Amino acid sequence: MDTKTILVADDESHILHVVSLKLRNAGYRVITARDGREALEAARHERPDLLITDYHMPELSGLELCGLLKQDPATAGIPAIMLTARGYFLDPADTDGSGILRMLSKPFSPRQLLATVNEVLASGARAA
Amino acid sequence: MSRTKATGIIERNAGGGELTAALAAIAPHARAAGLGLLLAGPDGRVLHQDPSAAPLFSRYVAAALERGGPVEAALAHRAERIRPDSPPRLWDLVPGVQLCAVPVLQRRQVVAILILAGRRKAFSATEDLRRLCDRLKLDAGWLCQQAARVPSTSSRRLVIESRLFQSLLRDRLRTAALEEELNSLSNQLANAYEELSLIDQISGGMRVNRRRADFFRQACLDVMQVLAVRGMGVILHHEKCRQAPALYGQVSLSDAQLNRLADQLAQLLEQRKGCLLVNSLSTDPAFAWLGEHATRLLAVPLQRGEQVLGGLFALDKTSGDFDSVDTKLLTSIANESAIYLENAVLFGDVHDLMMGLLHSLTSAVDAKDAYTCGHSERVALLSRHLAAKIGLGDSAVERIYMAGLLHDVGKIGVPESVLQKTGRLTPEEFEQMKKHPEIGARILADVRQLEDIIPGVLYHHERYDGRGYPTGLAGRDIPLMGRIICLADCFDAMTSNRTYRRAFPLEVALSEIRRCSGTQFDPALAEVFLRISCDQFRMLLRDHQRQAKRLLELQQILRAS
Repeated sequence: MDTKTILVADDESHILHVVSLKLRNAGYRVITARDGREALEAARHERPDLLITDYHMPELSGLELCGLLKQDPATAGIPAIMLTARGYFLDPADTDGSGILRMLSKPFSPRQLLATVNEVLASGARAA
Repeated sequence: MSRTKATGIIERNAGGGELTAALAAIAPHARAAGLGLLLAGPDGRVLHQDPSAAPLFSRYVAAALERGGPVEAALAHRAERIRPDSPPRLWDLVPGVQLCAVPVLQRRQVVAILILAGRRKAFSATEDLRRLCDRLKLDAGWLCQQAARVPSTSSRRLVIESRLFQSLLRDRLRTAALEEELNSLSNQLANAYEELSLIDQISGGMRVNRRRADFFRQACLDVMQVLAVRGMGVILHHEKCRQAPALYGQVSLSDAQLNRLADQLAQLLEQRKGCLLVNSLSTDPAFAWLGEHATRLLAVPLQRGEQVLGGLFALDKTSGDFDSVDTKLLTSIANESAIYLENAVLFGDVHDLMMGLLHSLTSAVDAKDAYTCGHSERVALLSRHLAAKIGLGDSAVERIYMAGLLHDVGKIGVPESVLQKTGRLTPEEFEQMKKHPEIGARILADVRQLEDIIPGVLYHHERYDGRGYPTGLAGRDIPLMGRIICLADCFDAMTSNRTYRRAFPLEVALSEIRRCSGTQFDPALAEVFLRISCDQFRMLLRDHQRQAKRLLELQQILRAS
């Protein structure tokens, strides 16, 4: 089985490190981006199998990022997991059709994130 | 000699993976500069060389410097004089080639010596070179050809290059160390996140009115997710919160064994007021009996101040011994849980106290009238049953139970001569009787915590058709609590003996409810009420009999005094 690539976008470096470490240790290839704009570039070049993105990011929010990926047929199928601040709820109408399959609120459990990633990738989910 | 594939560097006497990796990273630069690159230990023994280097370096220089080689003694002698602050040293050890040595430091110690080799301008088959070639079994002619392919380097440039490679290597090592540190920090951070989210999850479940066993069951299951253990259990031995010990997971103990473990833990945790860690149960005299079921045990007290209420314990971590991280995590969970436990105990105490007072109060009311013995309690039970049947939530159902208990509390203000009169009431007496809902509401109005049940007390004599008292509200304008208690109250009145008549049989009472549905009673409620089977009624009432007996005794005491 070939190694799956996961793009992790977050402006907080400690989140990037924790998530990357957890995913790399589980055998995934991880690329990181520190804002929405960089994540968009990375997604276009690397065509990751999954995107994990923060909601609040400079340049482009996680939601805007997913929207732009959606517009490009080459990246439209990338499923996404979104991280949000605790107590922050996105309107389901906003996430509809954005490719966001799961939401996790910070502080999240890295174990749970890995389980979610495994589940999403195993289900072969494509962004809806 | 072993070749490590990943680095392409021949490694012997493993001088640390990071050194090898760092050398591999800078080797291409040396090749590009036409220089040879070797790494020796502080004693001068060659540790690594670049096998991809030009043969002049990999076959000739490296071989000359090898252990047991021709220049070993001279090399060792010079290496020993390298200090942490030594400047580049030019070594003239191999004919035709000049060496430059610089120290490689880690934590201020010389851990290796980086040796750069540069071809001298005059490289020819001198006597010295031929002799060395013979010893190395190299053909001098071939070597001269190889040397011609490598550019020469002046001493001055070799020194400059050495400083450069020294700092390159130092930066590489520093980066590797930082990366390792970052990974370790990220790991710790990941653990901290895990703990934080676990504690968050567990404190989210800390509702004082939640069943205690449910709370601890969930907490144990949550902890098992984060701390990979084979068993996780809870003991609650303090009299304030005593309950049977519980164990979850794959370790199976009989009830007797679990109780024995719980007793031992209770005693030890009481003594220590701190955690207990046993990483070899079978050799521990106190726990040897547990040895065949588990190997390791970690227990922490559920403690508030000096009081040990119980404990949490984990059996067998899947990845080895329990350590300080596990202890810390379990202690945090126990501290959180102990706060919950203390609150739950206090909540239970206050709740019990309040319910006790309410029961005393209603008993006092019921005691004023020998024939209404236990009436309030039965109305409360019936109201609760009906409220649950129509699908109200747990807390609303409990409030209705309380309203049922207190619905007649206003009878305290009605003379006993009226309450206990056997004949028909005069209009004046009836007016006095009709005041009890309002008196009851006034009594409760001062108790903030009971404000929400006042509608049940005030409106339990309203009728659906608007012909009731005290306000004459009709239909759905009558608060639901009032409509429910009205139904339960009338039903219980009909099925109990009264001063002026005997109890109606159950079936008669039910047909009366049917007949008055829509006039006296809310038809929707009456319909639900009539669907309660006769058996259920009997059961409800039987449950209540024991209570009734106690009330009767109380009444007798009151009457005697």
